Amino acid sequence: MRGDTVGIVGAGRFGTALGSVLARAHRRVILWSRDPAIVDAIQTTRRCPRLPDAPLPEPLVATADPRELAAEARFVVMAVSSTNVRERAKELGNYLDGSHIVVHAIGALALPVRDGAVKSWERVSDVMALGLPTLKIGAIAGPALPADLVAGEYASMVIASAFDEVVAEGRRLLNAPPQLRLYSSKDLAGVELASALAGAYTVALGLCDGLGMGAGPRAVLITRAVAEASRLGQASGAEARTFAGLAGLGNLLVRASNRSVDYELGRRLAEGVVSADSQRTEGARAAIAGAELAAKLRVRMPVLTGVAAVLSGRAEPREAAALVGDTVAVEE
Amino acid sequence: MASDRPVREAENRLEHFNADRERLLAEVERRVVARRVAESKLGGDASLEYVLNDVAFSEIKRLEASQKKNGALDRWKDLSRRLMQMSEPDKEQELRDLVRYYGRDVVGNFDPRVYKFATGIGPSLLNTLFSPTTAFRQGFGVLGNLDQRIHPDGEVELARACAERGTVIITPTHSSNMDSPAIGFALMRAGLPPTTYGAGKNLFTNPFISFFMRNLGAYRVDRRLRFELYKDVLKEYSTVLLEHGYHSLFFPGGTRSRSNLVEKHLKLGLLGTSVTAYKNMVREGQPNKRLYVVPATINYRLVLEAETLIDDYLAETGKSRYIITDDEFSRVGRIVEFFRKILAHEGSVVVRFGRPFDPFGNDITDDGESIDRAGRHVDPASFIRGASGEVADDDQRDAEYTRALGRRLAAVYPKLTVFHSTHLAARVMFDAVAKRAGTRDIYRLMRVPQTPIPKVEALAAFDRLRARIAATPAWGAEHPGFLTQASADKLADGVRGLSTFHTRVAVEDRGDSLYASDMKLIFYYQNRTAHIPPESAS
Repeated sequence: MRGDTVGIVGAGRFGTALGSVLARAHRRVILWSRDPAIVDAIQTTRRCPRLPDAPLPEPLVATADPRELAAEARFVVMAVSSTNVRERAKELGNYLDGSHIVVHAIGALALPVRDGAVKSWERVSDVMALGLPTLKIGAIAGPALPADLVAGEYASMVIASAFDEVVAEGRRLLNAPPQLRLYSSKDLAGVELASALAGAYTVALGLCDGLGMGAGPRAVLITRAVAEASRLGQASGAEARTFAGLAGLGNLLVRASNRSVDYELGRRLAEGVVSADSQRTEGARAAIAGAELAAKLRVRMPVLTGVAAVLSGRAEPREAAALVGDTVAVEE
Repeated sequence: MASDRPVREAENRLEHFNADRERLLAEVERRVVARRVAESKLGGDASLEYVLNDVAFSEIKRLEASQKKNGALDRWKDLSRRLMQMSEPDKEQELRDLVRYYGRDVVGNFDPRVYKFATGIGPSLLNTLFSPTTAFRQGFGVLGNLDQRIHPDGEVELARACAERGTVIITPTHSSNMDSPAIGFALMRAGLPPTTYGAGKNLFTNPFISFFMRNLGAYRVDRRLRFELYKDVLKEYSTVLLEHGYHSLFFPGGTRSRSNLVEKHLKLGLLGTSVTAYKNMVREGQPNKRLYVVPATINYRLVLEAETLIDDYLAETGKSRYIITDDEFSRVGRIVEFFRKILAHEGSVVVRFGRPFDPFGNDITDDGESIDRAGRHVDPASFIRGASGEVADDDQRDAEYTRALGRRLAAVYPKLTVFHSTHLAARVMFDAVAKRAGTRDIYRLMRVPQTPIPKVEALAAFDRLRARIAATPAWGAEHPGFLTQASADKLADGVRGLSTFHTRVAVEDRGDSLYASDMKLIFYYQNRTAHIPPESAS
């Protein structure tokens, strides 16, 4: 039934892992990939080449036709990269209508369009709203790694939207206990910003570890990161507590422990390796965009601006690390 | 591609209103009672006992606080006493009586003779009927030339087409109690049909305005009645009006803008009934009946109540009085002054209409079809349908849709703003004083000693401001009738306006220099341009 089917856009690692968890929980899933070879592979081998460990049992079907996804699923999860979301939303939007619900699982900021007007960053939900006909948009975020989902480990995420219906439907359709639990939030801006900034702070943690700093400075970095991200969130209209939740702190802890590309970038920077692609990870982009936003909103963010400065080649890693302690100790 | 939906002839649907009135009231009564009775099965706060007690308690509280003591208080005390002993059928009957009572209090009237009079032969006759004094004659005489005074422009053609295809909801900015008559004339001049609208009951105390409002489709909104049952009646009445095709007008900002800022944070109020009405129409099998929300700005050269409004704003920023009963509007002499001095100026009010939206904030094509942000056709009915295509009820969803619509309205208002000479002159004076004082904080600027602003400097700033506005259509535009006016003349006209109408002189012209005599009024008028960043910041 259309109302009980989950559509997933993107057969990447997260999309596939989520599809696997849901299908194993007997939820009907339709997964759209643009790549016919991947669709073929899923349909014939019940495995996705991008995450071969994940079994994709029968309730899951793959398609290369977005029309099929739109017709068969009212609830859709966008699991594509931030660099593709604008184009994919627009393409999918050709087949959706105002009754659809679309949430994204993109822990990053969307690539800005610089067509005369200078835009430093955009929230993914804002970008999706430009491409989709529906207004019922939300986000899911949290420390749910594809590997954990596939392995059947306990994972939790938060789903946020201004629409209660989006949150309720998301929890009804995506909850797959005991493996995956969805918490609810109305703070869409907070969840998106917290999730994106977690990537930026993951770079900072990689940098910290790469410089051989101890457990104490590492703990200070994490707590100060949550504090300053909360300040930026509040200045942007989000709720401070969201940044200490699954989308913020939860994401930061899991990404740093998982040797993600952001974490590895931080380590390379500490070793003095600055390559042309240093600014191309989601976390790096979030750091630079977040620092711009902080300057615009006049929010003091020593950790984030330090990382952005290193990424932009304006500061040495050791200089940035010194900022972690913050030069001005104020009331916590 | 042209729409294949039939286009009805433009008509004044309010002409049928009086014949429809009893049917509309009966429908309101039926719906409100049915909903409340159904909800009462849940018990607790939804029980009829609680609902009736809420009404009685609120009315007793209101009447006890009121200066006027009369028999009404006894009625509510009696209800409160009887409530515990009433059977469920008795409670239902009491509920029905109350809904009918409040429905009759709210309901409007439309007298085609008054409409014809007000829009045609009225002005000259008004002199005779309403002119016990010379001041009155001078005041209303100007109505004869109202055509030149109130200028409608913008997306008038499209709004007219929408009024023919479906039902329109005009959603203007709100600065003055004169807004209702002003937009009434603007609609007439634009060839748009008259609308029904909710007006604060306090406005009906002015006999002149009350006469026209009562007979031109206005219904009464008593803001003192805060209990849920009254809000239910009001919302249902508005919903039923829209469903029956009566064009409506809501001020989404709620009360008048105290600061004169172009409204950003809209209270929305009855605007939410547009989604409900549309949902009901789709449910009744009429998905092709359309509702269109037409944004508009009402732009005055001078605002009648400016002094009271800005005083109120600055005295209690953020917690302004909800109902002001003692402003310039309550003084008949000031109304006459308004007609005599404000409307005497050619083009003194500009009403600018924007492109309509559907109830969900989607843009529409010239054919009246909804399109999404990517420009694709989208079926508005899909927004209220569930997974199986059924019309689904969800108050929170509908409220969120209305907020989305509100955001679109708030985003388009600045672009629709029309600047008069008074706004530009006030902005130039404000900027000059702020620059000298090193702050834009109005509370500090109010204490700054007067300093001369050389006219040469003011004129140069005026020129630059005009150039910036011309280069940035998103900020709004100058009055279309005075686009080519020389800056020196326009600045002089603005200063004249700011120095002659209000009881306080805002800007004084002393030879080679201008003086900011009343920073509050300057702040009020410059606020219309507040979305334009200061020169150094842009």
